[in-house]
Amino acid sequence: MTGSLWRLLSRALASPTGRIGAILIALLTLIVFVAPWLLPDPSAMPNLLAGATPPGPGHPFGTDQLNRDILARVVSGGQISLSVAGLAVALAMTLGALVGGVAGYHGGWLDSILMRAVDGALAIPRLFLLLLLVAVWEQMPLGALVLVLGATGWFATSRIVRGEVLRLREAEFVLAATALGAGPRRIILRHLLPNVAGPLLVAATLGVGDVILLEAGLSYLGIGVRPPTPSWGSMILDARPLLTTAPWTSIFPGLAIVITVLAVNLLGDALRGALDPRSA
Amino acid sequence: MTRWLLRRTAQAVLTFLVVTVLLFVLMRLTPGDPLQRLEGDRQMSAEESAALRRRFGIDQPMGAQFRTFVTGALAGDLGVSIEHYPTPVTTLLVSRLPASLLLGGTVLLLTFGIGIVLGVFQAVHRGRRADRWLTRASLTLYAMPSFWLGLVLAWYFGIRLQLLPVAQMHDPLLSPDATWLVRAGDVLRHLILPALTLTAVSIAAVMHYQRTALLEVLRLDFVLAARARGLPERQVLWRHAWRNALFPVVGLFGLWLPILVSGSVFVEQVFNWPGLGHLAADAVGARDYPVILGTAMLVSAQVLLGGVLADLAYYALDPRVRRA
Amino acid sequence: MRHVSRSTLLALCLLATPAGVPLATAQANTRQETVVIVGAQEAATPIPTLLGNTAANMAVTDLMFLPLARIGRNNITSGDKDFIPQLARSWTRRDSLTLVFELDSRARWQDGVPVTARDAALALNLARDPAVDPQRALLLQLVAEATALDDQHLLVRFKEAYDEQLYDAVYHVSPLPAHLVDTVPRGALGKSAFASAPIGNGPYRWVRRVPGQQLELTANDQFFLGRPGPRKVLILTVSDAEARMNLLLSGSADVLQSSAMIATVSRLAADKRIRIYPMPSFSVGYVSFNQRDPADLGRPHPILSDLAVRTAITMALDRRGMVQATFGPWASVPQGPIPQMSWVRDPGYKPAPPDPAGARALLRSRGWVDTDGDGVLDKDGKPLALGLNYPSPSAQAGVLALQIQEQLRQVGIRIEVNRLEGSVWGERRNAGAFDLDFGQATMDPSPAGMVQTWSCAGRGGSNKAYYCDPKVDSLLALALRAPRKEALALYRETVRTIAADAPAVFLFTTTTPMAVSDRIKNVELVPVAPWSAVWRWSPGPVP
Repeated sequence: MTGSLWRLLSRALASPTGRIGAILIALLTLIVFVAPWLLPDPSAMPNLLAGATPPGPGHPFGTDQLNRDILARVVSGGQISLSVAGLAVALAMTLGALVGGVAGYHGGWLDSILMRAVDGALAIPRLFLLLLLVAVWEQMPLGALVLVLGATGWFATSRIVRGEVLRLREAEFVLAATALGAGPRRIILRHLLPNVAGPLLVAATLGVGDVILLEAGLSYLGIGVRPPTPSWGSMILDARPLLTTAPWTSIFPGLAIVITVLAVNLLGDALRGALDPRSA
Repeated sequence: MTRWLLRRTAQAVLTFLVVTVLLFVLMRLTPGDPLQRLEGDRQMSAEESAALRRRFGIDQPMGAQFRTFVTGALAGDLGVSIEHYPTPVTTLLVSRLPASLLLGGTVLLLTFGIGIVLGVFQAVHRGRRADRWLTRASLTLYAMPSFWLGLVLAWYFGIRLQLLPVAQMHDPLLSPDATWLVRAGDVLRHLILPALTLTAVSIAAVMHYQRTALLEVLRLDFVLAARARGLPERQVLWRHAWRNALFPVVGLFGLWLPILVSGSVFVEQVFNWPGLGHLAADAVGARDYPVILGTAMLVSAQVLLGGVLADLAYYALDPRVRRA
Repeated sequence: MRHVSRSTLLALCLLATPAGVPLATAQANTRQETVVIVGAQEAATPIPTLLGNTAANMAVTDLMFLPLARIGRNNITSGDKDFIPQLARSWTRRDSLTLVFELDSRARWQDGVPVTARDAALALNLARDPAVDPQRALLLQLVAEATALDDQHLLVRFKEAYDEQLYDAVYHVSPLPAHLVDTVPRGALGKSAFASAPIGNGPYRWVRRVPGQQLELTANDQFFLGRPGPRKVLILTVSDAEARMNLLLSGSADVLQSSAMIATVSRLAADKRIRIYPMPSFSVGYVSFNQRDPADLGRPHPILSDLAVRTAITMALDRRGMVQATFGPWASVPQGPIPQMSWVRDPGYKPAPPDPAGARALLRSRGWVDTDGDGVLDKDGKPLALGLNYPSPSAQAGVLALQIQEQLRQVGIRIEVNRLEGSVWGERRNAGAFDLDFGQATMDPSPAGMVQTWSCAGRGGSNKAYYCDPKVDSLLALALRAPRKEALALYRETVRTIAADAPAVFLFTTTTPMAVSDRIKNVELVPVAPWSAVWRWSPGPVP
C-alpha cells in the first residue's frame, strides 16, 4: 500500500504544479501551526478607539474594526480551517471507503440499497444538506461542524471505491487469495484497500479544497465557526462594512483562502495526473 | 429510445423518492418541534395551535406523518412558512424560481460556452505558455470563495465605477409603463455581476474537462487519418475531433449542477438576488424548517432533471449509448 | 407603544422611503415620482396600529394611517401644549377626567366611508383590551373608556386626573375602520382580510406586497389634508446590510434609515448625492441580565441574581470607549432606559470610567476566584461563564458583543457569544432563554413607557429579564400622576434607582442617521413617526 502511494506521490511531485502545491501546503501548515506562538493574541483589542488601522509596523496586515491584529487572526483562522478540513476529509474518506468497500465486496441487495441511498444523497447539493443540519443544530460546536462536513462528503468517494472494488474483486490476485481461504476482512484490508488508496488520495486532496471553501461559506453566512474563534469566512463577513474604507480587512482573509485552496488543488490536480497520465 | 428514456426517468423518480425520505427523516430526527417557533412568535390560541398541528401532522406517529407529508407534497402542498406565515411554501418557491432559473441558465450558458472554447484553445496549444497561464488563471478563480469575489466585483463595478447595479433583479424605480425591451435590459444589467461571479468561480471545471477530452481524441486514429488525408486543420479539429470530445463535457453537466446551485446561495446573498439560494439561506437563519425542506426538494428535483437531460443529450450525440 | 418589544428592538433594521413628485403632468414620470425606502425587515403581518410593533409595521402605519393628533417638536408628552391636531380638529376638556375630540368631517377611509368617532373609539378600546395586546393595555391602564358621542365627537374618559391624558389618547393607536374591523372576532384580527390588505385614512393606500421583497403603496388623492407629492412609495425588504447600503449608493433607492455605526455613516456621507439627516431617536441599546434561571424560570439565576455580579460586569466595561469606537458622534452612553430625546433625561450625567480592578475585587468578595488557573473565575467548582445572545442582522450588536466578550475576559468572566437570526433571537428572548441578551429598544416618547420593561408588572410582557424592584414601580406610579415638575424629579430618581439595580448594562442611545438621496427636497422627518411627513416631500428628477 505504502509503496504504490509513494510512487504516486513522487510522480505528482515530479510535475511543477504538484511541487508548487506541495511546497505551499507544507509552508502554510508550518506557518499556521507555529506562527501563533510569535504573534499577538488574535482576540486582543489593544486600542478600541483606533479601530481599523492600515498595514504598518506592528501590524503587517493591519487591524480590523475592533483593532485586532489581522495577521494573527488570519493565521489562527488558518489553523481552524486546515484542522477542520483535514479532519472532515479524513472522516469522509473513511466513510466512503467503508461504504464503497462493503457495497462493492458484498454486492447484491446490500449494494443496491447503499447505492440507491448514495444516489439520493448525491442529488441533494451538499450545501443544502449542510444548511439543513446546521439549521437544526443549536449553536454548533467545532467538533460537530467537522462531523457534519465529514458526514456529507463521502458519497462520491464511496462510488469510486465501489467501482474499483467491483473491478478488483474479479482480479486474479484476489481470486487467488480467496481460493487460499482468506476471509473477507483480510481481502478488503490487504488486497482491495491498497489498490484504491490512489484514487482515495486524489479525492481527499481535492476534498480538502472543497471543505475549506464550504467552511468559509458557512462562516460567511454566520452559521459556521463561532466567535471569537477566528475563521476566514467570518472575518470577511465582519469586514463587509469596511470594504471601501478599510479594504485590508477583507483582502487578507480572502487571499488566505485563495492561496490555500489553490495549493491544495494544484497538488490534487498533479496527483490526478499521476494516477491517470492521459489527463495530464 | 422510448424504453431507455422511460427507464432513465423511472430511475430519477426513484432517486427523488429516496431524496424525499432522506430529507424528511433528517428533519424529523432532529430535536425540537418545528411548530414551536410559530407558536412562540405569535401567541396563538389553543385551537389555532391544534389546527396547525393537525395540518402539519405533528400529532401523529412518524409513519403517518410521512404519509401526510407525501400526499401533501404530491398535491403541491409543502406546508406553510414559519417566517412568512401564513404564506404557503409552494408560493414562496414558485415566486423565487424564475430568478433562480434565469441566473442559473445564464451561468450555464456562459460557463459551457466560454469554457468549451477556452478548453479547445488550450488543447490545441497544449503545453505552450497560453495553455499554462489559462490553467493557472482558471484554477485561481476556482479557488476563490464566490462571496468574496462577488463583494470585490460589486465594490469595483458598482460602487467605484458606478457602472452596474449591485443588488436586486429589477430597478425598483422603473416605470410600470416601461416597454418589455426596457425591462429586459434592466434585468440584464442586474444579471451581469452575479452571473459573472458565478461563471468565474466555476468555469475551471468545464475548461479542464474539455481540454482533457479533446487531447485524448486528438491522439486517436481517425483524427490522425483525417490529418493524413490532408484535410484542413480547422476542419479536423471541429468536425472530427471536437464533436467526439464533447461527450465528457455533457456528462459534466449533471455533475456540475449541484455546484452551481450551491454557489448561487452565496452569490444571491451578496447581490440580494431573489432566487432560491437566497430563500434557503434566509430560511436557515430563521429556522424556517418547512421552507428549507421545500427548497432542498426543489433543488434536488432540478439536479435530477439536469442529470436526465444530460443523459438525453448524450444519447442524441453518441450512437454507442443507444446500443448499450 | 411603539415599544420595546422584541421586534422594535431591531430599530436599525428598517425601511426605505421613496417619494414621488407631484408634477402637473402626472404619470409622466413614475420613476421620478416614486420614493424607494430600503428596509431590513418586512412588515410581516401588517396589522397596522394594532399588534404591529415592528419597525417595518410602524412605517406602514405612518404612511397609511392618520392619528387624532401628534406630539410636536419638543416631544413633551406631559400636558396638552406640544400636540398638533391631525384627524381631530380640536379637543376640549369637559372636566379633569374627560376629553372630547372633534374629528375633521372631511376625513374618509380609503374605501370612501367617512371616518367617524366610532372608528377612533373602537381602536382605543381594542388597545385597552389585555386579550388583544397586554402590553398596550398596561400603558393605557388609566383610560376608563372611549365612546362616540356622534359621528364627529369622541369622548375619552380617564380613571384619574393626570398630565399625560392627551398623550395616552392619541399616541398609542390610530383609528381603525370599524366597518371592516368590528366584523372580525378580536382573536382573529391578525388573519383577517383587513390585516392582509389594510385600508387606512392616511396619505398612502395599500397596493400589494411581494412577500420577502417589497411593499408597494400609492398616493391617496382623496387624502383631506392635501395631495401627496410622491405618487408611489416602495418599501424594499433587503436583509443584507451591505446590499441595503449599495442600493442607496448606486442610486436605486432614495432613503435608508442607516445604522448609527460610524463606519456606515461615514461611507454614506462620503457620497455627494446623499444627504444625512440626523434624526433624534428614542432608541436605547442595552444588555439585559436574566434574573431567572433560563433552565427553570421559577428559580433565580444561579449567577446573575446576585447584584454584585451584575454591578461588577457593568464596572468592568468601558462603555464610553465602546460607544465612541462604534458610533463616533452618533451615540452616547445613557444613564438608564432613557433615550437622548426624552424630556426627563439628566443632561449632567457622565458614565463612570471603567474599573476592572474594582470589578475583580467585588467578584472576589462574593467568592468568585480563579482557583484552577484557567483564566476564568469560579466558585464551588462552577466557572463564571455566561451566554450573550444577539440578533445577527445587527452589525453594531455583533461588534459590541465581541468588545464585551473581550473586556470581560480580562476580568475572568467567560462570555459565549450567540449570534442568532433575528426571529430566533426574539423567540429566545420571549422565552427567557438567555443569560445576557443584547437588545435595542425604541422607547416611548413618554418616560411612563418604562413601565413596560422595567416594572414588576411588565414581567411576562416586555420585561423579559424578570427584573422587579417594587421601589421602581411605586416611583413610576407616583410620577405618572404628578404634575410636570415633580414628575421630572420622580422620573430622574426612577432612572437612578434602575441604574443602581443593574438589571442591564445600558450601552448607548443613538441619533438616527437618515440617509436620503439629494434629489428629494423638503425632507421632513418626524422623530415619533419618521415617515408620516413623506407625503409632503418633493422628489426631483432622477439623476
